[in-house]
Amino acid sequence: MLVIKGLKKSFGDKDVLRGLDLTVPAGSIFGFIGKNGAGKTTTMKAILGLMKADGGSITVNGEDVVYGQTLTNKYIGYLPDVPEFYGFMTAREYLAFSAGISEMNCDNLSARIEELLTLVGLGEEKHRIKGYSRGMKQRLGIAQALLSEPLLLICDEPTSALDPVGRKEILDILLSLKGKTTVLFSTHILADVERICTDVAFLDGGVITLQGSPAEIKKKYRSDEYCIETECASHMELIAKQFPNVKISGETEATFSLADTELFAVMEFAASNRIPLPKLQRLEPSLESLFLEVKEK
Amino acid sequence: MRSFISFTKKEWLFHMRSGKITVILLIFLLLGIMNPAIAKLTPWMLEAMSESLSEAGMTVSEVTVDAMTSWVQFFKNAPMGLIVFVLIEASIFTDEYRMGTMVMILTKGIKRYKVILAKASVMTVLWSGAYWLSFAVTYGYNSYFWDNSVAQSLIPSVVYWWLFGMLCTVLILFFSAIMKGTTSVLLGVGASVLFFYILTLFAKVKKFSPALLMDGNSLIYGAEDAEAYVPAVMVTSVLVLALTAASIPLFNKRQV
Ligand SMILES: Nc1ncnc2c1ncn2[C@@H]1O[C@H](COP(=O)(O)OP(=O)(O)O)[C@@H](O)[C@H]1O
Ligand SMILES: [Mg+2]
Repeated sequence: MLVIKGLKKSFGDKDVLRGLDLTVPAGSIFGFIGKNGAGKTTTMKAILGLMKADGGSITVNGEDVVYGQTLTNKYIGYLPDVPEFYGFMTAREYLAFSAGISEMNCDNLSARIEELLTLVGLGEEKHRIKGYSRGMKQRLGIAQALLSEPLLLICDEPTSALDPVGRKEILDILLSLKGKTTVLFSTHILADVERICTDVAFLDGGVITLQGSPAEIKKKYRSDEYCIETECASHMELIAKQFPNVKISGETEATFSLADTELFAVMEFAASNRIPLPKLQRLEPSLESLFLEVKEK
Repeated sequence: MRSFISFTKKEWLFHMRSGKITVILLIFLLLGIMNPAIAKLTPWMLEAMSESLSEAGMTVSEVTVDAMTSWVQFFKNAPMGLIVFVLIEASIFTDEYRMGTMVMILTKGIKRYKVILAKASVMTVLWSGAYWLSFAVTYGYNSYFWDNSVAQSLIPSVVYWWLFGMLCTVLILFFSAIMKGTTSVLLGVGASVLFFYILTLFAKVKKFSPALLMDGNSLIYGAEDAEAYVPAVMVTSVLVLALTAASIPLFNKRQV
């Protein structure tokens, strides 16, 4: 759906993007992760032809993106990081206006508008946009981006300014598009990505440092750490005496690594000493810890 | 065409709901009523003040008021209306830059020149409507109380003044295409008008200055012929067209 090759961009002597390669497969919900100032917005503006890149190429749906021309934008719905609307209009009026200025062809526009407003949870909203909260504007922003039924929806940090409830609502909307629309969204909140993405990419230092599905990435970087819990402190002491490499992290909690402690030896020791283990679990790395780990390398 | 119409409709909706139309029309209506009212009240006011005036050693001779008194007021008050209009409309672009709504529109694929032309058309209709409303009200009262035929070249003089307002409207457009904030736009329009005014102080170029079009009193008293203003009318018309045309490429180049 979207292929970026060797994208370069610098502001003055500051290199923001240094040869970014990114492929967004059709049908994916793609999380584009990077900390503030990493260049996420810059990348998105380049995809929309709103910003001139210094090098590299971008294709959307097989067509080249050319700066200043907006031909490929007919495939794209865009939600900027801070969407702004005319406060004197209602959501319905704004969507009808959007359809008008983009000369959109639609047999039954008002039905389409109702459908979208219901999708984003603004179906009952009759007031003017003036009184909308950040979250409501963000949802209306998704509706206007989806109006022309784009193949690719690009959302710039749609959840960053919202409280947990608002974030969940937005993520649920994006998730509901799965299979219909390819979604590329940027974020610096890793928990958002874990929740809904089929693919993720980390942007750091102007290049993609890691790309794949969350499961793949986790598998690749799967830790060999286990977490173990006993019912009482004396049991934990027994285990600690037997296995000196176990790291005690609480009275009844500890972790150990397969590198120096054998899993089955621990289990056999527990079984033969009648030590019940309420918990014995492999530690799943969070994307967050992965991100930090990849960065350190 | 559809995008142009949608955008124009949006502008009208904004002007209606923000109350801008109401304010502009009310001001011009009020000015239209004030012109004959002041004329009507002049003898009465002078009489009321005559005692204190004669104490100061001035004698008040009988004053006669007619349509001329009212038209003189018209040209005196018109600048006030124009200033209100410019103050209200100067932010027609800059508010959209500031709020970020312009970016939202342009990513929707509307051609930029349509944005310019839509806003220009709305301002033109608004200025014309308000100005001619004010004219019609004054004209109506004048012909009711007195006789409008005493004013010479009345129609040319009011048309010229309207044209000067059009120039100010286009100046808003032009400065909005190159400036960021409302204050800069206002300064740009103000500086241009000041420049035109300074031109009228030099005998050689006076007749070409758009600011000459504001001097309706010389026309209605017959001190000047309507033809004498033709060079200024030509210059102003060319400026209106040229500034509108120049706004389009300037706006196209701008990074919003
Ligand atoms: N128009 C600009 N002029 C100069 N520097 C810019 C401009 N836009 C972005 N930058 C810089 O580029 C870097 C990346 O910005 P951005 O893409 O907005 O990051 P992100 O969206 O990931 O937070 C930042 O350091 C920012 O200061
Ligand atoms: Mg950003």
